[in-house]
Amino acid sequence: MATNPRTRLGELERAVMEHLWTASEARPEGLTVRDVHDAIGVERGLAYTTLMTVLDRMAKKKLVTRERDGRAWRYLPASSRDELTSEALHHTLGELAGSERRSALLRFLDQSTPEELDELRAALADLEQREGKRKTG
Amino acid sequence: MVIAALLILMIALAWPVPRLMAGMTTFRRAPRAALVVWQATSVAAVLAALFAAPAALPYLIGPAPELTDNATQIAIAVTVTGLIAGRLIVSGHRVGTRLRAHRRRHRRLVDLLAVPVGADASHAAHMRVIEHPTPTAYCVPGVRRRVVLTQGTLDALPEDQLDAVLAHERAHLRARHDLILEFFTVIHEAVPSWFRCEAALREVTLLIEVLADRAAVRATGVLSTARAIVGMATGAVKPEGMLAMSESPSAARLRLELLEPGPVAGLPAPMAAAVMYLFAGSVVLMPVALLVVAWATA
Repeated sequence: MATNPRTRLGELERAVMEHLWTASEARPEGLTVRDVHDAIGVERGLAYTTLMTVLDRMAKKKLVTRERDGRAWRYLPASSRDELTSEALHHTLGELAGSERRSALLRFLDQSTPEELDELRAALADLEQREGKRKTG
Repeated sequence: MVIAALLILMIALAWPVPRLMAGMTTFRRAPRAALVVWQATSVAAVLAALFAAPAALPYLIGPAPELTDNATQIAIAVTVTGLIAGRLIVSGHRVGTRLRAHRRRHRRLVDLLAVPVGADASHAAHMRVIEHPTPTAYCVPGVRRRVVLTQGTLDALPEDQLDAVLAHERAHLRARHDLILEFFTVIHEAVPSWFRCEAALREVTLLIEVLADRAAVRATGVLSTARAIVGMATGAVKPEGMLAMSESPSAARLRLELLEPGPVAGLPAPMAAAVMYLFAGSVVLMPVALLVVAWATA
């Protein structure tokens, strides 16, 4: 499916993150590379060292946090899925004020009021009626 | 005379013209031509600013200046034009770097959060779905582009409206609307902040949306597109502790009204567009002509 190495790496990071989010609820002390490899590496036919490298890179990118536990690292997601989702959607309207097309349109509005939404629905009803007439008439 | 004309042209194009044009809402009915006019006035303003000093030279030091005799005047002219060009280059660099860094970071975030949908179908290879209840759709332009939808969009819209949303986002990506907006942002940020016209940038943004909406109309029809716009704008859900955003209802209403081409200022749309293209061409030619006149008549 994903033949591009960068896409494959992105896909692997996503799978690792997914697993950390799910598994860290039951194991707040964190997961070792061995845990992650057993969960998602084996079925993909990936070497232990591949997962080690990926987790190391993700720690450097601050996607995951880690703590020493004897000779192994224990990994945890740096932020929850909800936090990252909020951040992603917040990006699309913040930071680039004026440059990102959505933010410019969103600045049109202040806070949308129920009246505004009603007016919008009425405008759609008008348009639907016009189109209906055009088709039958 | 010619220098005065260039200066007046520059100031007019930079200050009153964008403010006037932003208020001439009838031209939204011909969004493509209107965007060309916006681009033409911006280019003309930049050219007028760059040409002012070179146009002044023949009046100050004669038509055949000697580099050795008139070094000071020539140096001043080069400096003035260089400063203006420098501002533009710096602004272009700043905006470009910022946009690309932002997109790269955003794309990483999206790829981490969202599962690719239907990766076997080539047209869906760039699509990502994020778990969030508010209907939102947008695109991240660039070489590794993405169309991002929230789960809320998939839940709220029936198939034909979803097609309209996707056609809208793909139109943005295909026509590289991001580059048009980047061009305007660079010019916008190159001028001093008290001189900038936010209304102009908003107008251009709306025109780009209208263009994408019309692509959606061609792909899925007026009704599906209109319903999709309203569905996206009215479906906002605010989950606890999460940020929610949605299309502004007032912008959505404007877009509804502009889905189909109509007469512009009383003229049929194609005729109005032809006049607008002609105007755009003459606006760009004006500073060039003035520079030529300055050197030919001195």
